[in-house]
Parts: sequence; structure tokens; C-alpha cells
Amino acid sequence: MSTLLEVSGVSVTFDGFRAINNLSLSIGEPEMRAIIGPNGAGKTTMMDIITGKTKPDEGRVLWGEMSRNLLGMSESRIAQEGIGRKFQRPTVFEAQTVRENLALALKNRRGPFDVWLRGRRPEDEGRIGELAAEIGLTAELGRVSGELSHGQKQWLEIGMLLAQEPRLLLVDEPAAGMTPAEREHTTDLLKRAARTRAVIVVEHDMEFVRRLECKVTVLHEGRVLAEGSIDHVTSDQEVIDVYLGR
Amino acid sequence: MQRSFFLRHPSVLIFIGFLALFTLAVTLLADATGTGALSTSFVKTLGRTLCLCLVAIAMDVVWGYCGILSLGHFAFFGIGGYAIGMWLMYARTEEIVAASMAARPLPPTPQELTDAIGTQIFGVVGSSDFPAIWAFAHSLPLQLLAVVLVPGLLALVFGWLAFRSRVTGVYLSILTQAMTLALSLYLFQNDSGLRGNNGLSGLQNIPGAAELGQDVISIRFFWASALALGLGYVLFAWVTSGKMGSVIRAIRDDEARVRFLGYHVESYKLFVFTITAIVAGIAGAIYYPQAGIINPAEIAPIASIYLAVWVAIGGRGRLYGAVIGAAAVSLLSSWFTGGGAPPIDLGFYRILWTDWWLVLLGFAFVAVTLFFPKGIGGLFDLVMIRRPVEDRTGDYGPDAGAWRRDEGREEGEEDR
Repeated sequence: MSTLLEVSGVSVTFDGFRAINNLSLSIGEPEMRAIIGPNGAGKTTMMDIITGKTKPDEGRVLWGEMSRNLLGMSESRIAQEGIGRKFQRPTVFEAQTVRENLALALKNRRGPFDVWLRGRRPEDEGRIGELAAEIGLTAELGRVSGELSHGQKQWLEIGMLLAQEPRLLLVDEPAAGMTPAEREHTTDLLKRAARTRAVIVVEHDMEFVRRLECKVTVLHEGRVLAEGSIDHVTSDQEVIDVYLGR
Repeated sequence: MQRSFFLRHPSVLIFIGFLALFTLAVTLLADATGTGALSTSFVKTLGRTLCLCLVAIAMDVVWGYCGILSLGHFAFFGIGGYAIGMWLMYARTEEIVAASMAARPLPPTPQELTDAIGTQIFGVVGSSDFPAIWAFAHSLPLQLLAVVLVPGLLALVFGWLAFRSRVTGVYLSILTQAMTLALSLYLFQNDSGLRGNNGLSGLQNIPGAAELGQDVISIRFFWASALALGLGYVLFAWVTSGKMGSVIRAIRDDEARVRFLGYHVESYKLFVFTITAIVAGIAGAIYYPQAGIINPAEIAPIASIYLAVWVAIGGRGRLYGAVIGAAAVSLLSSWFTGGGAPPIDLGFYRILWTDWWLVLLGFAFVAVTLFFPKGIGGLFDLVMIRRPVEDRTGDYGPDAGAWRRDEGREEGEEDR
């Protein structure tokens, strides 16, 4: 397992509030990592920094074999490097069909002229079919995605994430609003994805995290409070005090 | 097998069909080529209207599809008009001056000829020297190139600066409006080199075609306008269809999400902004020879706001909507403001439509925005018989008590 992403000494301040405080974290490939922490611990801000949405005040985010710094790159460049992100609230393009949503996400060349002149390639249709089968939306391919249920939108977004074929998946609360059966399906899918790539899951639900059977990082006030197996961190007194005990 | 582009987008074929029929009808009724039922000036009005339709679909692509409310596209239209107008004016003046000098005992030197043309063109602004921007005015190919390049480059540079700084929404609209205002104020100055508020005139006289009457010229320009509109429609239908269209609409709806999918949103916006600016320039270059005159007032921000009103009334996000909006509103506008509409006598007040047309248009705009956000084009959705969409292919549930597929369909039909 080689290191894919290394966040080192990152700090960011919003109007005097230290959202991230000297945070260091490293993820291998392949690896599954769960990140937990109370509200305001900096989980979403950390994702914003990795994906280029927020620029930190100091620190480095190194990526891949060449250890390139992600901080100078644009959001789209970082996404092309192979970092995919699933948002807490399902954000699919509601005015477009499920097929169009998946086609948008498929790993292809992203330049305007490539997209305009080459359009949709014949082999894309096959990939879309496979993905739709995997997320259980085969029958809905032609539907406008705004009509889907909340759970189906979550699935579609997971499908879009897989379509990007990222090396690192950042998944924010994937199980929110899902039924127990859907949660189980999600766990399986994430575990399967983590066999070949790095997956970071941010989650509140401890049961869900336990089922992922992976290393857990606890964030608190913008820094790492504890790291280890779920049993290790849940028995840590500090973690119990700031998070579980409340 | 991939079906052909036109089969997948039948509305494009229908539109081209309508345009062809309309062109044929006008040709058969025009003075030069048919019965003469339509006057030459009306043929020109129709040709100009087609050019306005072309700039409206460009506006629809940039606003309705990509979500950039540009209040600068009429400036690009005007630049196209100025670019072609410079050649028209230069070449026409050259003809006249050469003819009058030919009677002199000594043939004029090239310098004398140029000076005489300069005096003719710039006399109204108290000058006789050619400013630097007229350097290519003698050459039709170079000025035609300018029709495409000047709006294209201006849009590219302006768009690059604006999109790169992530200016969006109403701020971007204000920025484009500022660009338009600055351009028109600059052109209003006498020393801008483009004859200040006099603008360029006599553009209806085509150099080298003195023997052709305006009736022939008008129908030829009408054909050119129809051809340009047809080609522009197909081009934009192509841009807004398929995956490109999907990305563009996605940018309109949630540009941050598109970025996280790995698309460089700024490049796409720049692409759309620039290509629509170029088409607007071409539309202007065909429009102004039919109008005969162009002056800086044409570029004023109000013109670009009109453009947005046409597209909103016609229906954003569908190309034929923009065409309908531009044609309907601009023709109605010339009917109302040209004294065509009979005044209404209320006893205590006479409503003269030349004064009240703008008020009426304003109310129409507000009403459309509030009550018919899809615009006139939205009527097509009502007229078209919606095919019932099958919401499922099987039964409603696995157990015996669940609805069968047909029961669900009957229920759905009752709802309709």
C-alpha cells in the first residue's frame, strides 16, 4: 500500500475562526478510511481543501507517486487527477435524465472541443448500462433525475462518482436518508470500491462506520484527535469526552 | 447505430422547413422576383427581422442554455455592422469620387484620390484624414474577416477576464452592460474615427452593383439573412445538443458541481460567449446594409436589454422560442412605433401607441416573467399531445394485492 494523498500541517482560518488547525492525514491506495467527528470538527472543510474549493493558509496537500502539490490546481484539474467527491446533499443535475447525468461523469476528455466534436462515443453507452445496473437504476435511465426519490438520487450520485473512475473517492455522509437495505448496499459498494482505490467516508452514524471495518480518524476542532480501529477510538477517553459522551 | 442529427432533433428540421417556406413565399411576393405584393422596404424589414432572430438565438444559447445574462451581445452585433459598414462606405465613396475626378484633364494621383475620399467621409466631423482603424477599409475580404475577428476577440478577452475572476450572475450582467456602454460612448466621440454620432450611412448602396435596383438588392439580402439564420440555427442546435449541450445546461444549473466533475467551467463559458459573439457579429453585418445606417445609438445598452426581453418573451432554453420572440416583438414594435396601430380615444386622453408602446412591452415582459416563465415557446408544450410516459415496466409490487401495470396506467390517464 503506497501513499496516495498526504495532507500535512494544513491550517485554514475563516474570519478569525480556525476551521482546520495543523491537520495532517495520509491515505494509502487502496485504503478505506472513515472520518468522524462532531459538527464543526472541520470534516467538510477538509474535503473542500482536498478538492480545491478552499485554499488553506498554510500546509501542503501532496498527491500521487510524484507527490505533486494539489494546492495550486483548479477544482477541475484536481477532479481530472482522479479525486471524486460526493456531497452530503445529493447534487445531481435534476433537469437532465439519469443517462445524461452518468454520461457527464464518465471518464473522458474534458475540453470543450473534445466534448463538442466527439460527443458521446458508442462505448460510453455500454459503460452507462453497467453503471446503471450497479446502482439499480437501469429502468430509470430515460427519466429526468429530478423525478427520482431521495435514495435514488443518492445512488445516482454514487454512480456518477464511480463513472469518473477516481483514484480517491471522498464521500460525505453517503447513508443519509437511506433505508437499512440501501445502507447495506452502500456499504458493500464502498467496500468493493476500496479494494482498488482509496475511499474516504465522512459519516455521523457509528453503526455504519463499524460496518465499513476500516481505520477511523476522529477530527475535533480542526485537528486529528485519534486514529485507529473503531474499537480503539471508541474506547479512547478523549474521544468519549468530546464526541461520544455528549 | 447512431441516428442522424436531424432525426434526433426533429424541431431543427421543422424550423428549417418553415424558414424555407417563408423565404419562398417572400420571394414570390417580392418586387424583383415575384408579384410585387410586398414593397421593397417591407422585404428589407423582413430581412432585418431574420438577422434579429439570429442574434436572438445566439443570446438564447448564452443566456437560456448557459445561464450567462449577457447585456453585451448587441454590441457585438453593432461591431459586425460597423466592420462591414466601413468597407461599404469606403468603396462606395471611392466609386463616386473616382467618377467625378475622371472628368479632370489630369488623372488624379492615388494620394489625391485617398484625400478626396477622406474629405467626403470625414467632412461631417471636421476632418479629412483616415484614422488608423480604417487601414483595411479598402479591402472587402479584410473587413469581412474583421466582422468575425473583432467581436470574437473582444468576447474572448472580455470573457477570459470576467470568467477567470468567477464573476457570475447579476454582477456579470452589469459588467457586460458596462462594456456595451463604454463602447457606445467611445463611438459617440467625433475623434473615435467612426464619424461620431453620425455613424456610417448610405450602407444600402452596394459598391459595384450600381446597376441593380434596391428591389433586387433587398431580396438578395433577404436570402442571405435567411441562409445565415438557417445555418446559425443548425450550428446552435448542434452546440446545445448531445453531451456539449448537457455540459452547458449543467453549468447553468450548478457550476460548482460541474467543476468537481472535472470540467473547466471557465473554458466552456468562454467558448459559448465567444461563438455567440461571432454569430452576433455576422448577424449585424447582414443587418446593417439592409438598414442603411449604423450609429452608436444602435449599440447602447438598451438594445442589448431588448434582446434579453425578446428571448424571455419567446421562451428561454429553446432556440425556436428565441426566433419567435425576436420576430414577434420586433415586428410588433415597428408596427406600433411606425404609426400602424390605431390610437385609442378614451375621451379624456388619446393613447398614441408611439408613446405607449414601451409601456405595453414592459407590461408584457413582466406578465411573461410572472405567468408564463416558458414564454411563447412554452405554448408548444401545451399544444403537443404529451405521450403518456410509462413510469414502470412491471407491476407495482411483488405481492398479489399490488396494482397490476394496467391499473396504474388507467389511473394515470384519469389524472390527465
